[in-house]
Amino acid sequence: MRNRVGTLPPGTALGYKERLAILRERKIEDTKDKAGFMSFADGDDYGAVMLPDDFRFEAIPTHKNGGYYGYEGFSKNFYKLMAQHPVLIDPCDAFAGRWMTCMTWLRQGRGFNPDYSFEHLKPLQALYGIVPGIGADSHFGGDYQIGLDLGFGGLLEKLEHFRGQNPGHDEFYDAEVLAIQGVQAWMRHTIEAIALAIEKEERPELKENLRQMLRTNEWLLFGAPRTLREACQWICWFNMASREYNRDGAGCQLDEVLRPYYERDLKNGEMSQDEAKYYIACLLLNDPHYYQLGGLSPDGRDMVGPFSYLCLEAADWLDSSCNITVRVHDKMDMDFLRKSVEYLFKNKNGWPRFSGDRALSQGFMRKGYSAELARQRVAVGCHWMSLPGLEYTLNDCVKVNALKVFRVALDEMMKAGERSTKRLWALYSGHMKKAVEVTAEGIAFHLKYQVYNQPELLLNLLSHGPVEKGLDIVNGGAEFYNMCIDGAGIASAADSFAALEQRIEREGRLGWDEVYAALQANFEGPRNDYIRAMLSASERYGGGSDSLGDLWAVRISEGFSADVVRMDEQYAPVKFIPGWFSWSNTITLGKMVAATPNGRKDFEPINHGANPHPGFRRDGALTAMSNAICSIQPGYGNTAPIQLELDPGLAQSDEAVQKICDYILTIFEQGATLLNINIINEAQILAANENPELFPDLVVRVTGFTAYFCLLTPEFRKLVVERILRAG
Amino acid sequence: MGVVTTIQRFSLNDGPGIRSTVFFKGCNLRCAWCHNPETLLAQGQLHLYPEKCTGCGACLAACPNGARRLGEDGIEQLSALCTGCGACAAVCFSGALSLSGTEMSVEEILNEVLQDRAYYERSGGGVTISGGEVFAQPEFARALLAALKAEGVSTAVETNFCFPFSLIEGFLPLVDLFMIDLKLMDEPAHKRWTGLSNRLVLENIALLDQTGKPFIIRTPLIPGVNDDPAQIVRMAEFLAAFAHLEYYELLNFNPLGASKYKSLGIENPFEQARPLGENALRALSGAAQAHLTKIRLG
Repeated sequence: MRNRVGTLPPGTALGYKERLAILRERKIEDTKDKAGFMSFADGDDYGAVMLPDDFRFEAIPTHKNGGYYGYEGFSKNFYKLMAQHPVLIDPCDAFAGRWMTCMTWLRQGRGFNPDYSFEHLKPLQALYGIVPGIGADSHFGGDYQIGLDLGFGGLLEKLEHFRGQNPGHDEFYDAEVLAIQGVQAWMRHTIEAIALAIEKEERPELKENLRQMLRTNEWLLFGAPRTLREACQWICWFNMASREYNRDGAGCQLDEVLRPYYERDLKNGEMSQDEAKYYIACLLLNDPHYYQLGGLSPDGRDMVGPFSYLCLEAADWLDSSCNITVRVHDKMDMDFLRKSVEYLFKNKNGWPRFSGDRALSQGFMRKGYSAELARQRVAVGCHWMSLPGLEYTLNDCVKVNALKVFRVALDEMMKAGERSTKRLWALYSGHMKKAVEVTAEGIAFHLKYQVYNQPELLLNLLSHGPVEKGLDIVNGGAEFYNMCIDGAGIASAADSFAALEQRIEREGRLGWDEVYAALQANFEGPRNDYIRAMLSASERYGGGSDSLGDLWAVRISEGFSADVVRMDEQYAPVKFIPGWFSWSNTITLGKMVAATPNGRKDFEPINHGANPHPGFRRDGALTAMSNAICSIQPGYGNTAPIQLELDPGLAQSDEAVQKICDYILTIFEQGATLLNINIINEAQILAANENPELFPDLVVRVTGFTAYFCLLTPEFRKLVVERILRAG
Repeated sequence: MGVVTTIQRFSLNDGPGIRSTVFFKGCNLRCAWCHNPETLLAQGQLHLYPEKCTGCGACLAACPNGARRLGEDGIEQLSALCTGCGACAAVCFSGALSLSGTEMSVEEILNEVLQDRAYYERSGGGVTISGGEVFAQPEFARALLAALKAEGVSTAVETNFCFPFSLIEGFLPLVDLFMIDLKLMDEPAHKRWTGLSNRLVLENIALLDQTGKPFIIRTPLIPGVNDDPAQIVRMAEFLAAFAHLEYYELLNFNPLGASKYKSLGIENPFEQARPLGENALRALSGAAQAHLTKIRLG
C-alpha cells in the first residue's frame, strides 16, 4: 500500500480526466507491487492493493481445532478484520478505500467445518474429477437497490425489525449486525484518515475533493445515498467489504441502478456530465466488479439510455481492466453496440464482453420462470447470470470433468468386452450420470451445512428473504435455488471420441489395443508419436462441415444437460442448471487425467471453457468455432461462452466495426450465450511472455474475467499465449 | 468437380459483409509478386515444412514415385519426381507435408459455405470466389455460382478479367459483384510483370460498366512496379468515367506469401519487398483522389 496523499507537486488544477490518468498510472504501480504474490496470481485484477508489510491478523478461534466457522466465527472475525483494516486515501480519487485481503485467503488451509463430514462423497468425486463446490462462497448476485435505499443505518434498523418477527434467530441477526458494525468501523477509520489527508494535501482542487469525500462518507456511515457520488461510494463500501469477507465480485445492472441518481443530480444542476463520468470511472477503478449495461427491462423495453453511454465513456476514460458486459438483444440500440465494439478495439482491454438475451432468457424460462424474471437475470459473474437478490446458485463453483469421465469409461471398456465407440458412449453416459448424481448430492450437502461453515453475512443483506426470515441465504433464505453444475473438457472429450471413431472404426488405420497402448505409454516412442499426430489431426470439435468432433460434442452436451436437469426431480424445489465452463481450472482439471485419444499427453490441460482446442481447424475460422459452440449450448439459461482472440487490425474502419457487430448479432441469433473477446496481436503477447514486467498495463481476458498479464503464473501465461497464437 | 486450394470462412476483406472466400486453383497470369503462389498451377502442389517433420518415414512408403527423401533436417522433396498427387500428405499428420489443391464438388463446397449463411444474411455478405483465377475453371465456376444463387446467397467474384467478354457475359446473372484487379495501365509493363496484355482487362471493365453491374477495382501496390503516383493517377483517370464503379481500392503489398514460396520450393522475386509506409500510401491515395472520390486503402 502506497501513500498518495500530498505527493503531487503544486501546479495547474487537475481536471477529472487528468486525475484519472494519474489514477491509472498508480494502478499500474499497484499491479507491479502485486506481481509475485500468489493470492493475486491467475485471478481477476480485483482492484485490490497490497496490505502494508507490517499488517498482521490474528483470528479469533471459535472451534476446538483452532479455526472459526459459522455465524459466530465469521461475524467476530470479520468485525475484527474490519476494525483493524488499513485505510487508503487517494486525493485524486472520488472514493475512499481499497480492499486488500479477504477472509477466504486468511483462513487458507482450513477446510469445511470438520463437524460435518462429506467423506462418503469423496471417492466418486475424485474418480470423476469433480470440483464439488462444497464450502464455496458467494457466486450469486445481490440486489444493490436494497442497500442503496436503506444505507447501513437502514439495514441495521431492518435487521432489528425482523429480529422481532423471528424469535429464535438471534444468532443470525447478531452476526449480521456485527458484520455491518465492522464495515462502519472501517468507514470511521477512513473518515479520520480523510480528515488528516485534508490537512496534508496542498493542491486546492484535491483538498476540495477530499472535503467532498469526507462529507460523503460521514453521511454514508448511517444514511442512504442521495447523490450519484454517494451512491457510488456506498457501492464501493459494500463491494470492498464483501471482497474482504469472501471475495464476492458480483456487480449489478449498473446503468439502471445508478440512473436515478445521475438524472436527479443533472436535473438539480449539482453535477456536470464530466463529473458523472469521473465518478463512474472511479467506481470501476475501485474494483472491476461484473457490471451489465443495456438489456431489456422486465416489461421488455430496451434499457439503453444516455447514462448507459456515459458508463461506457467512463470506462474508456479509465482505460484499464473492466468487467462490463453489454447485453445484446433483438430490440437493442445498434449505436450502443457499435460504440461498445469501438471501445473494445480502441482500448484492447478485453471489455466489454457481450451476453445474448435471447438464449439466456429462453433457456431460463425452460426452468419454469417468467420472461420478466428471465430478463432480470443479469451478467454479474465470470461466466454467469444471476437474479439480483433472489437466487442462490454456486455459479462457477461446481465442475464435472467430462474428460476424466471419458477416461474412466475408456479404461473400463479396455478391460473386457466389446470395443467400439458405441459401447464407449454407453459406458461414458453411465459414468456421467453417476458423476452428476454425486455432484448434486454434494450440492445438497452444501445447502444443508454451509451455514455452519461460512454463512453469507454480506450478501444476505442485499438479498430478498434472509433478513426477512432470519435465515442464511444458503440455508433457506433465498427465494430460488438454481444450482449451477458446469461441465468441463467438452472439446477434449469430443475430440477423443471423434479420433477413435475416425481412425479405428471408419478408416481402420489403427486398432483399439494399439491406441490404448499408446495412451498408456503417454505417446512416448516413434510409433506412438505418429499415432498421436494422427489422432490429433482427426476431425475436431470446431471443424465445421459436420465434423465428427462437432457431432460428438453435441451428443455430450445434450446428455450432460439431461443428466443435470433430471436432478430437479430428486431435490425439488432446488433446481439444477447445466453450463460448460472450466474457468481457469483448465490446468488443474487436466492434471487429473492421463493421456487421451485427442492426442493430449498425461495431465496436460483440458480445453478452455466451451472453446475447441487451439488448432481445431487449419484456417481457424471463427464462424466455424462459433457455430460449434452455439450448437453445444446447455439450454437452460446458464452459459457456454465463446472466447475469441482477435487481431487489433480487424476493425480499422467503420465498415469493419459493423462486420464485427454483425458477427456478434448473428452468434446470439444462433443461440450463443456469452462472448469474451481479447484484442491482442501476436508480437505483443510474445514480447510480454518473455518479459511480463515490461508490460504492467497489458490486460487480457483470461476466461470470464480480465487480468493483468504480468499477474499470471508462467504456466497460465503459456496457455493464454498459445491460445492467441493459434487463433492468429 | 473443381480444384480448390482453401475455403476461407469469416472473410472480411473480400467484399461486403461477412463472407466465405473459395480459392480456385490455377491462374492464366503469372504475376511476379503473387502472394498466393500455391494457386498458380492447375494441378496439386506440395508444401514442405521440414521443421515439422518427425522423421516417421510414412511418406517415403506412400509416395508412388519415390519423390521423398529423409534428410538430416527432415523431409526433402525430389521435385522432378513429384506429381503433386498428395499420397504423401495423406499419411503425414505432423504438418510437414500438405497438399494445395483438392478436388471438390459443388455440393461439398456448399456444405461448407452454407454453414455461415446466417452471418451472410445479417451482414449483407455472401460467398466470394477468388483464386487463382475464377474464369480459369469456367464450367465449375458457373455451376457453383448458380448453386449459390439458387440458395439465395449473394455472390462476388475476384478476377483478373483477362478473358474474352463473351465468356464473362455469361456470368452476369450469376454474380452480384465483380472485384477486378487492375495492376498497370501500361500494356508492355503489364505483359512484362504478369505475362499477359491488359487490353482485355481495360476493355472488359468498360463493357461491364455498360451492363450496369456493380464492380470494385483493386490495385495491389507492388514496390518498384506500380507504387508511384503517376501510375496510380493513370488508373484513377481511367476509372473516373465509370458509373457503376463502387470504389477503387489500393491494396498495400502483402508479404505473407513469402512463407508459401519457401514451402513450395520456388523462387520469390519479391522476397525483399516490404509493405508501403503510411506516408507513401497517403500520397498514392491523395493522387488518385484528385480524379476519383471513391478511394479506399486496403
